[in-house]
Amino acid sequence: MPIRRSPTFRWHYAEATLSWRGFSHYFSPLIFIVCSITLLVLSQAQPEAVMSLRAHVTDALTPFFNVVARGASAVEEVGTTLRDLVSLRSENEKLRQENRRMVEWKNTVVLLQKENAELKSLLHFKTEPSLSYISARVIADSGNAYTRGLILTAGKSDGVREGMAAMTGDGLIGRVIEVGTWSSRIWLISDLNSRIPVTIAETGDRAILAGDNTEMPKLLFLARDAMVFEGAHVVTSGHGGVFAPNLPIGTLKETERGAYRIVPSADLSRVNYIRLVDFNLEGGPLNSMSKKHSVRSGR
Amino acid sequence: METFWQRLDLWARASVPTVLGLLFTFLSASLWPFPYLGNVMPPLAFFALFYWSAHRPDLFPPFVAFFIGLLNDFIGGNALGLSALLYTVAQQLILRYRSFFTGHSFFMLWVGFTLSAIIMMLVQWIVLSLLSWQLIPFLPVLIQILLAVVFFPLPCWIFIQLQRTVLSST
Repeated sequence: MPIRRSPTFRWHYAEATLSWRGFSHYFSPLIFIVCSITLLVLSQAQPEAVMSLRAHVTDALTPFFNVVARGASAVEEVGTTLRDLVSLRSENEKLRQENRRMVEWKNTVVLLQKENAELKSLLHFKTEPSLSYISARVIADSGNAYTRGLILTAGKSDGVREGMAAMTGDGLIGRVIEVGTWSSRIWLISDLNSRIPVTIAETGDRAILAGDNTEMPKLLFLARDAMVFEGAHVVTSGHGGVFAPNLPIGTLKETERGAYRIVPSADLSRVNYIRLVDFNLEGGPLNSMSKKHSVRSGR
Repeated sequence: METFWQRLDLWARASVPTVLGLLFTFLSASLWPFPYLGNVMPPLAFFALFYWSAHRPDLFPPFVAFFIGLLNDFIGGNALGLSALLYTVAQQLILRYRSFFTGHSFFMLWVGFTLSAIIMMLVQWIVLSLLSWQLIPFLPVLIQILLAVVFFPLPCWIFIQLQRTVLSST
């Protein structure tokens, strides 16, 4: 049944829509809804343009994030200092012991390095492209229930390129997906869209590490006869031309269902500084595959 | 007649809801000292959107809802335009039904927020799952909704205080 409008309502409605204020009052929500839908459609149809726009906006927001991040880290630092003061003595003793072990390891590494160099020269081994590193500070956690990402204070002006590996001292944590002039965004290995070719270091079996928004990414396409066991080390395979080979990622953990997941070596929940590694390789097929995938998710 | 400073003061007071919306957007992307909180962080800006749309819609017009939603999309890396659309539509629904949950008790306001948050986040989860052609894990979304509902009284208390003090003359 059609709604009957009283003449008074019609008069007020006409009067209101005639003035600019009235027009905007009645129609602005509709205009913004249409704008939002247009943007949503555009982000699916032209993801590259949206990514570039997003990078510019992130650049513009960097100073704000910087201020907030500095304030938060100052507060955190006070807490850390207090905790450190309490455990100073035991920590000192632990570090002394660790230092003694490290000195022994250093001597071993020096000997092995020398031996390795001699053997390589004997075999005329082709050296791998040199790695270059860029250090950056994390200023924002762009992750939420749907994505796992971080925003960093390094961009094109610092030499950051799309596809660079993001690492902490413990291992690989993700890759650069969007680069602005002064900032960049990385997807963590746990992100739903993350796919990385990996190798089980002990057995040489290959697989794809796939993020699913949980803290322990899963392994895909692992051969049925693969020799895997809990605690085995997972490293990048270097296939796909995105990452350098042998970057440490984590260790395998058997789940209750008998499948294997990866426990990342780096703590993905507490990342303050990141080292971006450039293997000086152009993005391979995996890179373009990820881009195709991101068309769907609009990222 | 109002002097320049009086007008500036009035303008500054009137912009408080918008500034809070923006501040909460930045806070939701900040690095919190609690591990994994970022993965289930509730959309803090929605607290501001709900409260001010219900109590002072004149100070929280549709373009503010749209802009804050868009900012969330840019920062969060979700499909651009989705939060902007959800925030604009949510605001219109809040405006339509605000007589049910404002002016009664705080409990009714809480119920109104809970319903709005559940509907908004469920729609977001469905749309993002459809866009990525896979079922996005629901547990983080559920925790996000629970956190939003449980912590609503805290920002709400701040908003009420501001409304009583800073915005009483606007």
